[in-house]
Amino acid sequence: MSLLSACASASKRLVTQGLFVESAFTGYLRTASGAVKDKEPLRKAKTPQGRFDMNDEKTKDPLEKFPDDVNPATKEQGGPRGPEPTRYGDWERKGRCVDF
Amino acid sequence: MAAVCTASCVLTKKILSAKALQTVSQSSRKLHFSIYGKNKAKVSDGISTQYPVVDHEFDAVVVGAGGAGLRAAFGLSEAGFNTACVTKLFPTRSHTVAAQGGINAALGNMEGDDWRWHFYDTVKGSDWLGDQDAIHYMTEQAPHAVVELENFGMPFSRTEDGKIYQRAFGGQSLKFGKGGQAHRCCCVADRTGHSLLHTLYGRSLRYDTSYFVEYFALDLLMEEGECKGVIALCMEDGSIHRFRSKNTVIATGGYGRTYFSCTSAHTSTGDGNAMVTRAGLPCQDLEFVQFHPTGIYGAGCLITEGCRGEGGILINSEGERFMERYAPNAKDLASRDVVSRSITIEIREGRGCGPEKDHAYLQLHHLPPQQLATRLPGISETAMVFAGVDVTKEPIPVLPTVHYNMGGIPTNYKGQVITYTPEEGDKVVPGLFACGEAACASVHGANRLGANSLLDLVVFGRACAHTIADICNPGEKLSPLKPNAGEESVANLDKLRFADGSMRTSEIRLNMQKTMQNHAAVFRTGKVLKEGCDKMDAVYQTLDDIKTFDRGIVWNTDLVETLELQNLMLNAVQTINSAEQRQESRGAHSREDFKDRMDELDYAKPLAGQVRKPIEAHWRKHTMSTVDPKTGKVTLKYRPVIDNSLDAEDCAAIPPAIRSY
Repeated sequence: MSLLSACASASKRLVTQGLFVESAFTGYLRTASGAVKDKEPLRKAKTPQGRFDMNDEKTKDPLEKFPDDVNPATKEQGGPRGPEPTRYGDWERKGRCVDF
Repeated sequence: MAAVCTASCVLTKKILSAKALQTVSQSSRKLHFSIYGKNKAKVSDGISTQYPVVDHEFDAVVVGAGGAGLRAAFGLSEAGFNTACVTKLFPTRSHTVAAQGGINAALGNMEGDDWRWHFYDTVKGSDWLGDQDAIHYMTEQAPHAVVELENFGMPFSRTEDGKIYQRAFGGQSLKFGKGGQAHRCCCVADRTGHSLLHTLYGRSLRYDTSYFVEYFALDLLMEEGECKGVIALCMEDGSIHRFRSKNTVIATGGYGRTYFSCTSAHTSTGDGNAMVTRAGLPCQDLEFVQFHPTGIYGAGCLITEGCRGEGGILINSEGERFMERYAPNAKDLASRDVVSRSITIEIREGRGCGPEKDHAYLQLHHLPPQQLATRLPGISETAMVFAGVDVTKEPIPVLPTVHYNMGGIPTNYKGQVITYTPEEGDKVVPGLFACGEAACASVHGANRLGANSLLDLVVFGRACAHTIADICNPGEKLSPLKPNAGEESVANLDKLRFADGSMRTSEIRLNMQKTMQNHAAVFRTGKVLKEGCDKMDAVYQTLDDIKTFDRGIVWNTDLVETLELQNLMLNAVQTINSAEQRQESRGAHSREDFKDRMDELDYAKPLAGQVRKPIEAHWRKHTMSTVDPKTGKVTLKYRPVIDNSLDAEDCAAIPPAIRSY
C-alpha cells in the first residue's frame, strides 16, 4: 500500500509539473483500485509468441522480394534482393557497404 | 542427463586422482568434457601445480574456425588426420560471417573467361607486391574451389541455365585488362560469407574433427625452431590445455581492432600474428591496411560510395563542402584514397565535427527523400540503427575506417610459414602453417581486390590441408616435448590475472586505438608517423602498469581481453613502425611526402638504358618485422617479391608496370 501511495504521489508530482506521462503507473493504479478502463490494450511482450499474435505488424523490408526469387532484369535466381548491389562499384546493401 | 553427469564426474575424478595431484583434487575442478574413446588427454603438473595442464595429442591442430580454419580442419580430417580445431568463438560466429560480397572465380559462365586474366588483375591490383607464384596458385585453383564449395551445398545464385551467376565486382577485366569488364564474382544472395561459413561448418561435422570451442590459444610451443603445438586456455573452466601435434595451422583472422574505427568484430585481435611474433618469427607487410573513406563513427559500418554518387556531400564542422578544395573537378566523387586523405586532413587541422572533433559529416538531407528511398533503399534504416540519425534531417557522422589487413604471417604458396635470410632465402618453419586473413601468402600484396579475400580463405585452407597430407602420414609418432613447455605463457597468464597497476585494460586499449587512428591511418607523413611511433612506444610501456579486476579463472573475460590487448599491441607497433620506414606510396600505403612508387626500374619511362637498382635502394619488397615482446622494439628486415609464376609456359609472369585504371 505504501508503494501505491508513493506511486500516486509520484504521478501527481509529474502531472503538476506539467508532464503528461501515459505510463504504466497510471495503469497500475487503475487496476489496483478496480476501475479498469484502459484506453489501449496492454502491450504484449515481444517474445516470438507475442510476435505471431500481432500479424498486422509486419516489418516493411525496404528491399522487396522478387517473384519466384528471380531478378527480372538479369534473370538471376537466388540473387540479392533490391537493386543491383554492385552498381556503385562496391557491394552496397541498405546503404551499407561491404567490401568483401 | 544426470547419469551422464555422474558418469563423467566419476571418470574425471578417477583420472585426476590417478595422477596423485593433491592440489588439483583439493580444488576439485571438474573437466567440462568427458574423456572417451581415442582422446588420450592426460593431466600433468609439468608447468606448475597451481595450473594443472591437460595434454592432448593430435596429428594436426588448427587455430581459428573461420572460413580458412574450417576448410583446413575438415580437409585434414578428410585426409584421415586426427585433427583438433581450437577456436575462441563458436565457428559460425567468426568474422567470415559478415562478408556479404562474393567469390571471384574464372568459371566463364557469363562470357568466355580465363584464369590467366584473373591472375593479371590480381597481380596488378596488388601493385606488384604480391608473390606471383601464390597468385598463380590461387587463380588457377579458383574454379575448382568454387565448384567444390557448390558441391558441398553452398547455394550460389544461378542463371537461367542453372549455372552459377557471376557479376562484375572488384576490378576484374578480360584479356589482360584490354577486354572490358569481366563478370567473375559468384555470390549467395547477399550473404556469401554467412553461407560459406555454415556450409563449411556443416560439412566439417561429417568428419570427426574435435572442436575445442571457446579455447583461447595463448602461444605456440616452439622447440629448436620447430612448432610442436599450441597451448590454450579453456575459457569455460579456466584449465590450460597443451595440444601437441606435428602440424599447426594458424587461421585466426585480422587485427582490425588496433584502430579506433574499424569494421571488424571485437574479436579481430590478431592473435595468430602475435603468437608468431612471440615465437620470434617475423610478420610480413603489416603496414598495408585497407581503409574505406566513409565508415559510421562509433559503429564501424561502412556507408556505400553510392551515397556520394547520388549527390551526398561531405562537410566539416564549419559546414563547408571541403572536397571542393581537394578535388575541384571530381569533388565528392574523387577516388577513395583522395576522399579518405581529405577527411583525415580536415580532422587533423581541427575542423572535425563532434565533441572530440574527430569525424566528418556525410549530408544527405538536401536530397529529396523519395529519391533516397528509391535509389538507396534501406539507408534510412541503416542510419537510424547504426548512427542514430534520421537521414532526412541530420547528417551521418563518418570517418575513414579499417576493414582489411593485407599483411600477416608470411607463407609460401603451399601455406607453410617461412622465414627469410639473405644468405639462404626462404626457409620453411617445420610444423607451422597459416592461411586466411592471418596469413600473407602474399596474394593481396599492397591492395586487396574485392571478392578475392573469400577466395583466398578457401584456396589456402585447402592448400594447407593438401600440403600436410603430402608431407605427413596420419598417426605418426610425435617428437618429445619438454615437460615444462609453455611455462612462459602460463606465467604471463598468472601475471595478468593478478595485475594490480593503475590503468584499466579499456583505457590502454583506447589510447592505442586513438594513437593508431590519428597517426597510422590514411594520412601518413614522416613526421606524423614518427610521432605515432613514439606515442605507441609509450602506450606499449603502459602495459606494465595494467590493472585487472577479475581474479577468478572461470570465464574471466577481463583476463581474455587483456591477453587480446597484448596481441593487439604487438600488431600495432609493427604496423606503425613498418609504415614509418617504408618511404614510398604503394597500394593502400600512401604517404604525402613520398607520393610515388619506388621500384627497381622506373616503369613510367622506357626501360631501355635504365640501371636496375639494388634491393636496398628500392621498395618493391616485403617488410618482415619482428618485435622484442619485453621492450616493444621493432626490427625490420626485407624480403624480395617472388616474380615468377609456378609454370612460366602455362602462365607467364606479369612484369611490373604503372598501375592505373
